[in-house]
Amino acid sequence: MPNLRDIKQRISSVSSTRQITRTMEMVATAKIKKAQERIESARPYALSMVEVLENVARYVQGASHPLLEEHAERKRIVIVSITSDRGLAGAFNSNILRITEDLMRSETQQGVATELVAVGKKAVSYLRYRGVEPLASYIDISDRPTFADARKIAGHIIPAYTEGDIDAAYVVFNRFKNVAEQKAEIYQLLPVERRVMETDEAEDRVHPEYIFEPSPATVLDRLLPTYVETQIYRSLMESAASEQGARRRAMKSATDNAGEIITTLTRSYNRARQAAITNEIAEIVGGAAALEDK
Amino acid sequence: MARTLMCEIVTPERIVYTNEVEMVVAPTLLGEVGVLPLHAPMVTVLVPGELRVRYNDNKDVEWFAISGGYMQVHEDKVIVLADNATHSSQIDIDRARQAKEHLEERMREIKAMTAEERDGLDECEFDLAWCEAQLKVAESHS
Repeated sequence: MPNLRDIKQRISSVSSTRQITRTMEMVATAKIKKAQERIESARPYALSMVEVLENVARYVQGASHPLLEEHAERKRIVIVSITSDRGLAGAFNSNILRITEDLMRSETQQGVATELVAVGKKAVSYLRYRGVEPLASYIDISDRPTFADARKIAGHIIPAYTEGDIDAAYVVFNRFKNVAEQKAEIYQLLPVERRVMETDEAEDRVHPEYIFEPSPATVLDRLLPTYVETQIYRSLMESAASEQGARRRAMKSATDNAGEIITTLTRSYNRARQAAITNEIAEIVGGAAALEDK
Repeated sequence: MARTLMCEIVTPERIVYTNEVEMVVAPTLLGEVGVLPLHAPMVTVLVPGELRVRYNDNKDVEWFAISGGYMQVHEDKVIVLADNATHSSQIDIDRARQAKEHLEERMREIKAMTAEERDGLDECEFDLAWCEAQLKVAESHS
């Protein structure tokens, strides 16, 4: 028969855990909102940036720029894996690491060397465990990424690409679809896909004659790296929001589970208590009956 | 009322300023450029420096320190895409001055290194130019 005191102890330990998970759930809910606001406030810049890029691209027809050129051979690629610094967020980090791993494996099979840029403690410690030396690692930025962080990350990739050290760059991150849904995704950072520079609208739209200072080529030359930085920045921010979303969901189910465990435990506690009382009564009745018999 | 331009200054992090103005003067690669209403469509590269806007019959002026970026002019709308932008009244002079000293020292350290070791020179130059732009704007307009 289960010991009454043991059950009581378990109930109190589960309920204090539930308190923690519930608090974490609420904290994450509050943080999602802030992270979402940050994504929103970065949108005007990103939109205007794409608009300018499209305008420039129209003028530099068949534009050639090192960041647009696809390299003939694929020898070495860089993968930027964006994870979080903290755990307890469900499959948030493991999804990223799994995709990264899959990509590395399939590239290696084709004889392509892979380099990694690790963002977040989880990626860094996973790579250390796997014995992979990352090209660069960034920790303590995943909570509140800044544009300067994105620029630093881009600093490892853009020059390497222009100089031909690497032939492609990918980003693996959690896309923030909405509060309830985040999806681990992979996209190509470099070479910059040409379609980002093509407008969706039909050709017959009247385009204004733009003046470019100093020249369309110079503007494009400056604009493309900034575009890449903006992409990285956006991924970092979406990942930050997704982290909170994933944590909220993980903590919500942990809280719900704890509630269920408490219900079951309380039930068996009551049953055990009842059994103990019944036992006692039986003993008393038995004792009384024994005395009466005499 | 005079014809106006819609001026928007945005950084990757936020929208710094939006207002109907009469003139925008921005530091470009080829020197200062002033934009008045009815300006032809233009895209230009900005360098670190001072950007100013005039409004209210050119009586009111506001200054911003910007750290470079792009400016697009189209149909009386000016979009300034800056990496960093701060209004002259919000510049923290002491902090900028300290950062500048720190960066200048770092610059010397980097320059003392050999060519292979040189890391972060561009970044340092960029930050230094931004500090200088802030100081210049703050000192001349506060």
